Amino acid sequence: MGNELVKLIDTTLCTACRGCQVACKQWNEMPGLRTKQTGTYQNPPDLQWNTWTLIRFQEYEDKDKNFTWIFRKDGCMHCTEASCVKVCPSGSLYYTDIKTVGVHHEKCIGCKECISACPFDIPRYNKETEKVTKCDLCYSRIKENLPPACVKSCPTGALTIGPKDEMIKKAYARVEKLGGDANVYGDKFVGGTHVIYVLQFKPEVYDELAKDPKVPQTIALWKSILKPLSLLGAGGVIGGSILHYFIHGPHKPHPEHYDEPKKQGGA
Amino acid sequence: MKNKMVVVTSGYERFVHWALAISCLTLCYTGLGILFKELNFLGVIFGGLKGLVTVHDFMAVIFAISLVLAIAMWWKEAGIFVFPEDWEWIKAAGGYLWHLDHVPETGKYNPGQKAFFLTVALCGLLMVVTGFFMWYPEKLGGDLMDWVYVLHVLGFVVIFAFFFVHLYLGTIGNPGSVSAMISGKMELPVLRMLHPKWVKEMEHEGKLMIANDKK
Repeated sequence: MGNELVKLIDTTLCTACRGCQVACKQWNEMPGLRTKQTGTYQNPPDLQWNTWTLIRFQEYEDKDKNFTWIFRKDGCMHCTEASCVKVCPSGSLYYTDIKTVGVHHEKCIGCKECISACPFDIPRYNKETEKVTKCDLCYSRIKENLPPACVKSCPTGALTIGPKDEMIKKAYARVEKLGGDANVYGDKFVGGTHVIYVLQFKPEVYDELAKDPKVPQTIALWKSILKPLSLLGAGGVIGGSILHYFIHGPHKPHPEHYDEPKKQGGA
Repeated sequence: MKNKMVVVTSGYERFVHWALAISCLTLCYTGLGILFKELNFLGVIFGGLKGLVTVHDFMAVIFAISLVLAIAMWWKEAGIFVFPEDWEWIKAAGGYLWHLDHVPETGKYNPGQKAFFLTVALCGLLMVVTGFFMWYPEKLGGDLMDWVYVLHVLGFVVIFAFFFVHLYLGTIGNPGSVSAMISGKMELPVLRMLHPKWVKEMEHEGKLMIANDKK
């Protein structure tokens, strides 16, 4: 393939059937784990190492007390400027040829740096394998010209995938049709994500959705400044020591430091 | 023997020093391999990058323990500046930058050594604390953790550079001083140059321990 692909999640079409959640587990061979009833249909309660996508259930009342369900499929956004790729020390997280963020699981060392860096709180740590997991947009399927498992399973057309430009155009057309507060989420930050939403309400309405996702500036501070400084500093000291040794010379005792100054025995 | 050898460190001091030194250097080595993708190959001798992390985690514990022991053991001698004598030494840059026949006299540890000790103590504690949270990032949450990584690398910048200062001044920069951390003894003339006041005090109190090897 090689083109830049974007997955569009039209939350207004989602019926929360969770077919995508099941299909994701099936394709990626992720086991089910014992879960907890937390008083909502949302299950499991959050993304987990074995749950890479999750329909978030939210009960919402607008100003006029009109009740509505909000369903949002949560999962990796596949950023163009991905914080996780920037911090990953092992090359486990990488940009694929379709500009999504892939995972080389065998390389992961479980350092958890991506977990702190991700502005969308997506990566999850598996204590048993000591590795981090997340959605890879079914890279193995896309390589075979198949849609991701979640898209394949979606019965309502809430999930679609296609070339970036087309999908963004489609999203804006949909938003125009919906009117009101409807908006496109994802194309404007972190270099543009490769998963974008059509949201019916303003982003701040949605649970667990970053309002202003950014690559943490601290990453540039330690990756671009402190990292090279560690080598420059040590190199400078080594060079300085060598210069000092030859120009100033080492500290040697003064003749009167010896017990018998005349003999000048030592040194 | 040409010069009298003086006992300057105890076996316990040298043990703690080397525990701290070996763990610190191993942490620098493994840390470099983790920090720089280009240096990932440093992990080959430990069976890969994951092995590097395992060694880093293990050595961190040794480092933390020896750091606490080192601070407990040395802070009174090397952790407190004494004015005005230390100030005189600082003004003369310890005789390291221009030639002085007589460097201002200080106690057992000069302000340069004290500054080194304090830097290692503070940066070492910083590394232990930030490193601990890197094991359990969920305890702090993403925003604070972002700064933990910055501080861990900052501590490394300082410690890595200071290590080479320490290496130079403890060996060829001050000939005769390295034996303090090997045999625990130093030649009396070298001591008179580097720690004149301490030698005088110890002589005055009759505590100067001359090693009695084949007189």
